[in-house]
Order: sequence, then structure tokens, then C-alpha cells
Amino acid sequence: QETTVPFGTQADSSAPIEVQSETLSVSQDDGAAIFEGNVLVEQDNMRLSAARVEVIYNETQSQIASLAASGGVTLVSGDDAAEAERADYDVTSGALVLSGDVLLVRGPSTIASERMRVDVDAGTAQLEGRVRTFLSQDGD
Amino acid sequence: MALSESSRTRLISWLKIVLPLAAMAILSTLFLISRSIDPLAEIPYSTVDLRDSARSERVTKPSFAGATEEGDMIAFTAESALPRDGNRLDANELAAEIDFASGGSVAVRAEAGQIDQPADTATLRGGVEITSSTGYRVETEALAIGMRQTRAETEGEIRAEGPPGTFTAGRMRLSTDPETGKVYMVFTAGVKLIYDPGSTPGPTEE
Repeated sequence: QETTVPFGTQADSSAPIEVQSETLSVSQDDGAAIFEGNVLVEQDNMRLSAARVEVIYNETQSQIASLAASGGVTLVSGDDAAEAERADYDVTSGALVLSGDVLLVRGPSTIASERMRVDVDAGTAQLEGRVRTFLSQDGD
Repeated sequence: MALSESSRTRLISWLKIVLPLAAMAILSTLFLISRSIDPLAEIPYSTVDLRDSARSERVTKPSFAGATEEGDMIAFTAESALPRDGNRLDANELAAEIDFASGGSVAVRAEAGQIDQPADTATLRGGVEITSSTGYRVETEALAIGMRQTRAETEGEIRAEGPPGTFTAGRMRLSTDPETGKVYMVFTAGVKLIYDPGSTPGPTEE
């Protein structure tokens, strides 16, 4: 089933994206660019950290189409945070999809699911696939 | 009016004297009062002191090309080169071009450089600009390029712009993946990049 929850604060998906990492390697034959080593992608007030982020260009190779983060990602927006194995951020549409053991922490409650679709501009998220909510009683 | 017989002969005899003299005068202008042509000045010769350039074995427009062990074609050209000692050469306006067997190419330009034959390394210095066929333009202060293997490494940090955006990094090196033979431009020691989705040119998706 599907659950829609507010996630963090609204962010502007056309704002400049800052990426910091230990290394960036560019393959000279097809130009594939991969950031590695605690990569941090920041846009407006959204921060995505991952072990590895690959840049995927549009057909004309003139713009970035999406960023594929893998190796365990953490997405923080406002005071909400979510963890997953992978994240694919479609830069042009501002849709960010977390997949693989997604854990969303919102205040006292933690929600687990298979996939989480975040609309960066609207600041909402849709959780899909075996959504389970854990309420921590003692507020730890 | 016919001239009288005697005046005609006098005229002719007089002409026989004047005409040759006039001819002589005209002929002499060809040599005596013509422009003095200094034969030496006409021959163009360079003002470079021949002894100096002979002694210093300065090479103009040297070029070196070859293939690296990985099979990539590499070529160096310079404006001029001056041997420093037995096996090192100082060059100015040194440029290098490497075409990778696995596809793509890299071109490098610098104000000056030093070629060290035994170490098989050329070190480019001063306004080094590296452009790659993948659309990256990298600026740094110094870059060492291998002449026998495909390797290159900057000595310090770089500023660059490319398809993912404009960025800086602590160092850049060119290395070949031994298994796949693919060549990578690797930026290390901290990469900071800014990509502006709004401003980059390109078709705007509806």
C-alpha cells in the first residue's frame, strides 16, 4: 500500500547543486563521471550523503539528467531524515526515489518501506511496499 | 625649301659628331649616375647571432611522438627547446596530445616545460591547461606526463569545468585501469563541485 507523508521542508529543485567528495573519476571513452568517498550532495536545504554518486547525462550530454547514489544513502531535509541503500535523484523533475530498506525517521516514529518517492519541491514523500511504522514509546 | 648642297653636308658632318656623343651620354646614365645598389644589403639574412645559436644547439619547433606501452599515441611539440644537460631539455610553449587506444583524447598546453629523457617524464609548468575530448577543461600550475606509459599527475590543486559543472580538486591524475585498459581522469584530495541546473545551456525539457 502507499502512504503519503510530509517530508522535511520544501526545497527548490532548480537551485544549484553542490557536490563534495573525496574523488571524482571520469572515464575518458564515454565521459561517465563517478564521485566516490563520502559524497555529499547539497541543494537548497536538502542534503544527500552516499558512498558513491554517478552522474547520468541527458541524451545530448549537455545537462545532468539524474544522480544515482548508492552504497548506503542518507537523505536529510529540514528535521526529517531517511536512510536507504540507493537513491536516484532526477534533477530535471525534482523527484528523488530512495530504494532498498528505506527507513524514514520523523520525530518519534520510524517508518520502514521498500521505496520512498520524495517530491523535493513539494516537500512530500510517498512510501511504497511493505510500509511498517514503529512508534518508540519511551521517546528515545 | 631645299637646303643648299654645302649646308646639307655641313649638317650631316655636324650630326655625325653630335649623335654619337648623345648616345654615349645616354648610355653612361645606365652606369654612372644610376642608383647605387649595395649588393650585400639585398641578401636577406637573419640577425640571430649565428655563433650563439650554433653553440647552444637551440632547437626550434621540436616535436616528439610515439606510442606508450598501453598503445596510446602520444605527441609533444614545443616552440623551442634548449638542452640543459646530458639528458634534460628545457622547452617553452610545450604542448602534448594523447590519443587513447580505448577512445577519447587529452590535449595539454603550458608556457614552459622540462623533458627528462631517462625518467621518461615531461613536466609542464606555468598556466597548464588540460582539455579532454569528454568536454573537461582543467587548469593547474604544473603537470608531469609520462612519455612511455599513459600517466600524468598534477603537482597541486586544479580548477576545472566540465559537463557535471565547475569544480576544484586537490590533485588530478590520468591513469589506466589495468584490466579494462580504459583511461580515467581521476580528481582526488577533495572535490568540490557546483552544478547549476538552471543556467546550463541545452534543450529545455517541457
